[in-house]
Amino acid sequence: MEFNSILFVLFFSTFFFLYWFIFNKNLKKQNLLILAGSYFFYACSDWRLLSLLIISSFINYQLGKKIAATDDEKQKGLLTTLGVTFGVGLLFYFKYLNFFIDSFSKLIDSFGIHTSTHSLNIILPLGLSFYTFKTISYLLDVNSEKIKPTKDWVVFFNYVSFFPTMIAGPIDRASSFAPQLEKVRVFNYENATTGLRQILWGFFKKLVIADNCVEITNNLFDNYLKLPGSSLVLGAFIYIVEIYADFSGYSDMAIGFSRLIGFNVTKNFNFPFFSQNTSEFWRRWHISLTSWMTEYVYTPLTFAFRSWGKSGLLLAIVINFVLVGLWHGASLNFILFGFLHGCYFIPLVINGTVNKNPANTTDNFFSNLKRFINRSGTFILVMLTAMILRANSITEAFHYYIKIFSKSLFSIPVLPTQNPKSDLAIIFFIFIMFILEWFGRHTDFALEKLGLKWPKIIRWGIYMIFVLVIFIFMAKPQQFVYAQF
Amino acid sequence: MEENQIIERLEKIFSSVFGKESIVLTRTTSAGDIAEWNSLNHMILISEVETAFNLKFKLKELNKMQNVGDLIDLIISKSIV
Repeated sequence: MEFNSILFVLFFSTFFFLYWFIFNKNLKKQNLLILAGSYFFYACSDWRLLSLLIISSFINYQLGKKIAATDDEKQKGLLTTLGVTFGVGLLFYFKYLNFFIDSFSKLIDSFGIHTSTHSLNIILPLGLSFYTFKTISYLLDVNSEKIKPTKDWVVFFNYVSFFPTMIAGPIDRASSFAPQLEKVRVFNYENATTGLRQILWGFFKKLVIADNCVEITNNLFDNYLKLPGSSLVLGAFIYIVEIYADFSGYSDMAIGFSRLIGFNVTKNFNFPFFSQNTSEFWRRWHISLTSWMTEYVYTPLTFAFRSWGKSGLLLAIVINFVLVGLWHGASLNFILFGFLHGCYFIPLVINGTVNKNPANTTDNFFSNLKRFINRSGTFILVMLTAMILRANSITEAFHYYIKIFSKSLFSIPVLPTQNPKSDLAIIFFIFIMFILEWFGRHTDFALEKLGLKWPKIIRWGIYMIFVLVIFIFMAKPQQFVYAQF
Repeated sequence: MEENQIIERLEKIFSSVFGKESIVLTRTTSAGDIAEWNSLNHMILISEVETAFNLKFKLKELNKMQNVGDLIDLIISKSIV
């Protein structure tokens, strides 16, 4: 069930009414309603694998309790390893097994030995990567005594399957999410209207920008052999915008719907296109995943390699990013994407320029110019690697680059389109998105504070314009890109 | 070893790792107070502390560390053992 479907509108309206008007007096019942709603939401998309979600929740709930109950460090470690292995095993089987079978088969074939391996017919359970990461972090946090396990199974099952974040995150931690389930929630008008604004902004990015970009990039990359390098650069630009608008749009909707039922879900994007280096970019892009990876993968790796100085640090970064790439999907393209992003850190680590906050905060022409150059350079680096994700194979990705870095880069770009007026409109909306995000970059999302001090009529006029634009320009609905991860 | 002596030695290590002339530390100083103290060089810092005080930390101990005060307590507890 997609957020932009009629079924979801009906589901959420009913849920909202029951949640705030019927079950609002009893926390336990309200939590049970969330669980029932989450399972209904999941079953509408993939009823066959709902049992896996329930089994995974049950096993991890029991393990969490057992880990906390024992004082024996060895037993704690064993139980945690068991739970993490179970989660990784699920991911391996459902997501990566076919990739390894195919890769192994190709490797054997390359030695001239013909094998008769067959890919298995495995359905990837919806949201598997997201809910498995939640359960793994839960067990690790219980093991390291950062959190106490919840004694209420409804709270834990809700943490794993909370419907607004089920399909594509953000990946919340139990430390911040479980306490919200354990206390009485009171309807907060301000939080709810902020949620509505965030949903509106999410719909605009997803339906108007991302879904329309799909057609443009499909036309462009499917015909790349006939096009000049400059068109591919334009295609790369539109493609990175498409991925961003799709995923951040989804995250905005997920966070917005959560706000409407009184939950504060972790922020997933913080205007990544305004980053001044790739390190900053990854602190602003898919924050819930990168912070997860930093805590549970990168930190243990750097701890293990700490005596190797900067070399150990770089090795940990590259391994971490290859795994980030692999998390996105089972293909060499994702691995290469992650590897390149890991390599982007090499000059930053060597020069020691990886700071939490960009040091240059002065406001004069030269520092502004420097920031502009840094931002543009970072954007171009990210844009060029995103093409690897669009290509059907690594060979095709290299063909893209050969095309781009040829003389035809300096020709006028052309878009293979049947509807140039519509394409121009989309490029205009992309421009609007960048402008609004730039001016709203110190808030949670572009529309959060926009016009709050203006007369109500003007502010509402702006919202209505967005609603109209969404209805007029929304394209044929496309699946959320990140739902497949 | 006295707490003051530990802080003095830590200040030298912090200055060297973060490339600053001098850093003043208190028990409440945390990663949020020093711009250069981030996840990328945290373990380099830890490694330097381990070498200087001739001890080894466990990852679990580091995960619980919130500020310089926790680090000092950890160093003292390890030194006693």
